[in-house]
Amino acid sequence: MHRRHFLGASLAAGLAALGLRGCGASSPIRFGIHPWIGYESLYLAEEFGWLPASVELVKGSSALESMELLKSGKLDGAALTLDEAIRVHLESPQLLVVGVTDVSVGADVLVAKPEIRKLDQLRGKRIAVELAGVSGTLLLNILDQAGIERDEVTVINVPVDQHVGLWQQGEVDAIACYEPTASILLGLGGARLFDSRQLPETIFDVLVVTRKFAARVPDAVRALLAAHFSGLRHLVRNQHDSVYRVATRQGISPADVRLALASVMFPDLASNRRYLAKDGRVEQVARSLSLMLAREGLVPRTLEVERFSDSQFLPRSVS
Amino acid sequence: MKRWILGYLAFAALILSVSGTTLAQGFQEVRFGIYAYRPDFIMKERYQPLVDYLTGRIGIPVKLQVLDQEQMRAALASNQLDFFLTNPSQFLVIRSERSLTGELATLVRKHDGVATASLGGVIFTAATRNDINGLSDVRGRTIASPGLHFLGGFQTQALELKGAGVDVLNNNRIKLVRSHDRVVRSVLTGDADVGFVRTGILEELIADDPRLADRIRILNRQNLVGFPYAVSTRLYPEWPVAALPHVDSDIVRRVASALFAIEENYPAALSAGIAGFAPPADYQSVEYLARELRVEPYDELPQLTWGELVGQYWGWLVATVILVLLLTGSMLWLRRKKRELAAEQLRLRRLILSWPQPMLMLRGGEFVDSNRAALELLRYAMPRSLLGKDIAAFSPQTQPDGDVSRQKIQRLLQRVDRGEVVQVEWVFRRSDGSEVWVDMTLAPVHDTEEPHPHVLCSWYDITGRKEAEQRQRMAASVFDHAREAIFITDLHGAIIDVNDAYVAITGRARANAIGRLPPLPLEEGIGVLASARSHGFWSGEFASKRQDGERFNMALTVSEVRDAQGAISHFMGIFSDITRLKAQEKELRTLAHYDPLTHLPNRVLFTDRMQQVMAQARRQDDLLAVLYIDLDQFKPVNDAYGHKAGDELLVEVANRMRAQLREEDTLARLGGDEFAALIVNVTEPAVLENLLARLLHAISEPVPVAGHLVQVSASIGFTLYPQAEELDGDQLLRQADQAMYQAKKRGRNRYCGFDSAAS
Repeated sequence: MHRRHFLGASLAAGLAALGLRGCGASSPIRFGIHPWIGYESLYLAEEFGWLPASVELVKGSSALESMELLKSGKLDGAALTLDEAIRVHLESPQLLVVGVTDVSVGADVLVAKPEIRKLDQLRGKRIAVELAGVSGTLLLNILDQAGIERDEVTVINVPVDQHVGLWQQGEVDAIACYEPTASILLGLGGARLFDSRQLPETIFDVLVVTRKFAARVPDAVRALLAAHFSGLRHLVRNQHDSVYRVATRQGISPADVRLALASVMFPDLASNRRYLAKDGRVEQVARSLSLMLAREGLVPRTLEVERFSDSQFLPRSVS
Repeated sequence: MKRWILGYLAFAALILSVSGTTLAQGFQEVRFGIYAYRPDFIMKERYQPLVDYLTGRIGIPVKLQVLDQEQMRAALASNQLDFFLTNPSQFLVIRSERSLTGELATLVRKHDGVATASLGGVIFTAATRNDINGLSDVRGRTIASPGLHFLGGFQTQALELKGAGVDVLNNNRIKLVRSHDRVVRSVLTGDADVGFVRTGILEELIADDPRLADRIRILNRQNLVGFPYAVSTRLYPEWPVAALPHVDSDIVRRVASALFAIEENYPAALSAGIAGFAPPADYQSVEYLARELRVEPYDELPQLTWGELVGQYWGWLVATVILVLLLTGSMLWLRRKKRELAAEQLRLRRLILSWPQPMLMLRGGEFVDSNRAALELLRYAMPRSLLGKDIAAFSPQTQPDGDVSRQKIQRLLQRVDRGEVVQVEWVFRRSDGSEVWVDMTLAPVHDTEEPHPHVLCSWYDITGRKEAEQRQRMAASVFDHAREAIFITDLHGAIIDVNDAYVAITGRARANAIGRLPPLPLEEGIGVLASARSHGFWSGEFASKRQDGERFNMALTVSEVRDAQGAISHFMGIFSDITRLKAQEKELRTLAHYDPLTHLPNRVLFTDRMQQVMAQARRQDDLLAVLYIDLDQFKPVNDAYGHKAGDELLVEVANRMRAQLREEDTLARLGGDEFAALIVNVTEPAVLENLLARLLHAISEPVPVAGHLVQVSASIGFTLYPQAEELDGDQLLRQADQAMYQAKKRGRNRYCGFDSAAS
């Protein structure tokens, strides 16, 4: 369930800032993030001093940390994948998607043995996946799209860090995973059978806040999104600078950052409005995801809220 | 400056001299301009191989032109260049001034084996300057920069410093030294405190002179993995190559493909210190920077004309105008309303102040406001005499009902606090000590925010009414308790009301009396009302009958009662029972004129009667006789048998004499044993003598007194009237007395007439 560590890099910034403040109308939003190309906008905003006092980033090493802190009430919001957001929402604090940072276009891959050329051929095969993570979502979507019933394949639920080993032992016929594991597997003779480009606008990385906080301090949520879009503009429009900064933070080469940037799409303000609209793409996907996850028993029930996303916190324009 | 102009002119002349042969059609030559960011000779030395490489690849001679900013502008303005390579800021300015085919490629530099298509700025100072360590220390320092149009030589640093709160254009002296090399020199010589150069310059200079590395210190050094140069700012895309529109597209294509084909190890690349050319970068970040810093081409804000403004925002304008109009209108309306309200308040206040009925405002039981009438009622001159004091301060210790004023008003105010409106009669003590009754109303003026609401207090002076009530009560008491009977009737005499005395005197129950006539004199009856109407009253005494038939006398006075208009509305009668009074009066009259023993008229009545009969005799020419009778030997009887016996004798003699006289004659006892008589209508002396003889005889008959028979006689003198001379009664009686005296003298038991001659 750990949302991707980009290339396994984990910059564990301390969580020392946590728990020192009481609540109050003017308290800043405590927002959990962890290294992922889609969330770089907020790191950049912080680096350039574009974060107002009302936004406090709580930097963790993985999505798991953010989710745990959200559930324990130590965070007011976090950057998560949509399915992670649904999982948290169905457990304890009610969440609201207030922004979409990126949409996966190729970062999530189903790598298969070269002889498997079509999805149909997956029937009867052994597929490794970390069900509790975003790859699980990918696989469920693939099976859904290919019309393959769940019991027609053998799903092996394995954490992502064991995928390479499994592949090398030839234990499995296909693996649903994401970068950089996918590139490694491809280098080991795997074939890219399916990736998130074929699931357009389905795998979202989103900014979520608790409904309570959004109702209490909407201005802080707006400030967070304004900072995100400022950082995003630098990330996208000034790649000549940003790739070096991302590379520096993640300890990888600028070339790898460019590759990573290519595997995701960064929706701008207008696209965000469209995604977050009532019955927009985010809510549609969230509903179908929750159905899928519930069917697999990965969540206790389906999403039953009027709204799961809200575009009202988006800035009017990017300054 | 002068030198620069001269150079410019020389260059312009050169351009003009070759212009005829350079224009498009044949393209004997392609002119490749490069911006001189370093000294001219270095630029030529480094980039000549690149130009030679291009010449070899496209088959047309490519001529290198190393130009500074102004030269490049002039050359472009006159289409004297076909391609140019310049910094992104310069590129934006050029693009804003003329059309280009767009950027063909972006330069990729290489240092220490690492290529990059990004550039940035370096902020440095001399290594010895310990006082300049961070961006904020740059404030106020002299800065050396190659020029304001240099992206890496000024603009990136300016933006970074702006972020740190240092506005270099306003806070610093900036020396524009036209090239990066001179910037480094200026800082080393101390001409400038801080230097701005683009990335790569220092590395190139250090390669030539390694000692330089120790002589300078870089400020705000960014730690960027994979970027080969020291840098103080954020990064931007490297220089673009652009073609001008007049260049044949085929040549553009060939140049572009030649540029992209350059490999790192080509002499052209090695000489220029570049890794080659990459597809054109996104230069928008440079635009953002220029906008942020307000430098060319974004140094001037577009002049917006009214027409454009209206065209663009007419909806908003109309809405704004309407809103402003509405606002103005509503403000005017509000102001008018406010003024009206103020006038209304003033009018109300005046009304209250001048309202003839006293009105006051209380809060917490104390007066906070009062009108003039209230002051006047209590006879104070100034409002401050009242303000701040409570009601009890102006009241007597106790109210007429016996309650202590202060306790009573506190109870009342508690009720008012609960929201009741209280009305009560109250006595105030005025400043002069007199008391005044008021009907006081206390009403809460609701204001929920205050714990104690204001209380409106109004007074109505009822002293007059109270006095009238007093009078009425007294009148009613008089009516009820008078010993005289009182009745009130309508205009026709029918009784409307009677008092208890009426019931007692007449014996008639009130219910029986009402609606009937009151007791009235028989002869006049209801006519007394007419008399009362014409004279204002009627008064009289008459006899009436009680309910049980007993007669009684009454004295009645009937008065008219007039209404407010002066018209007679009722009659009122007062009467008393004078039966006993009448009896006493009669007794008194008897006592005055009659002798109590014999019940004969006394001397007073006799004299009176004598006057009457004398007058009558004169009128009717009658003759009357006056007799004076004196009993003989009466004293011995009295002495012998006692006074009682004497009295009995007198009574018997009187009765006998009276029996001899006619009705119209008068017998009186003058006192003791002396009597007198008046005999009227004496027609002839014989009748008189006959009478006298009968009298003497009657008197001399024995009289049984106290068990004894007593015999007395009388001497009678008489005289007649009228006589020759006019006489009064006294003279006449004296004549009779004298005649009686004659009779006595002549031996008693005889009568004797008055003889005027004898006297």
